[in-house]
Amino acid sequence: MHLAPWFLYSVITVLAWGIVGLLQKLSTNHLSAESSLIWLVVGFLAMEPLFYPGSDIFRYSTWAIAAALISGLLNALGAWALFAALKNGGKASIVSPLTALYPLVVILLVPLVLHESVTKLQLAGVASALIAVALLSA
Amino acid sequence: MPNESAIAQNLPAKQHWNAPWFWYSIVCVLCWGGWAMLSKLGSEQIPPNTMQFLFTIGTVPVGIALLLARRGKLEKNPLGISYGVLNGILSGLGGLTLFAAYHTNGNTAVITVATSLYPIVTVLLAVLILHERLGLRQILGLLFAAISIVIFSL
Repeated sequence: MHLAPWFLYSVITVLAWGIVGLLQKLSTNHLSAESSLIWLVVGFLAMEPLFYPGSDIFRYSTWAIAAALISGLLNALGAWALFAALKNGGKASIVSPLTALYPLVVILLVPLVLHESVTKLQLAGVASALIAVALLSA
Repeated sequence: MPNESAIAQNLPAKQHWNAPWFWYSIVCVLCWGGWAMLSKLGSEQIPPNTMQFLFTIGTVPVGIALLLARRGKLEKNPLGISYGVLNGILSGLGGLTLFAAYHTNGNTAVITVATSLYPIVTVLLAVLILHERLGLRQILGLLFAAISIVIFSL
């Protein structure tokens, strides 16, 4: 059975983030959500020496570098907004499945930005996964 | 006459539009949607390790803003701090492989949706480690997740 490289990479992402989900449940027994996010950034920074690109960074376009930097900013802002939703009266059983639907934004943008299309079978998989995520995130 | 808390618990859906938590949730969805989209666009040119390096720099302003908002005061619980830092390392590893997936020519929508399935692992670990019980909702969720994983692996 041949699995596409993207599938194998995605499995590692799911495993790593799945463990993070559990650790986050445990960490909020000891820390506030904001502190937890601050230490998460410290964890990111601890890995920076491993990924230091050196002068290779000058090979990429300004646009691509800006996209990478802003992706980090938006990811952290999203986490902050999630905590703010929970702090301002949002029930986790509603907020978690709602925010887990962020791939919908990508699904809507992809045809406009990347001119990629999905097959009918992939679309069935996407629909099934979105239902799964909404059900599991509560 | 029903009491106020009973009314609060049975708010009709349209009341969500006025609630701050609803709009914070929408901001979260838009931010994370933008994060995933820009991650793909950056990854078309930049290899995964450099993407992760730059991504991290992007998260720092939010960390600093949170620290300032708390006037530098953080809880000093060693276990909590260890979990937090470990979360960062594991999130970074997951981010690295997400960038690697986007760097291939795999379908962007499919990769984004497939990697958002991580609550499967959280739910299963919560059952195994925290001895939480699965409700019907979670069992149905796992079933739909299994269907989508089989479809994506074809």
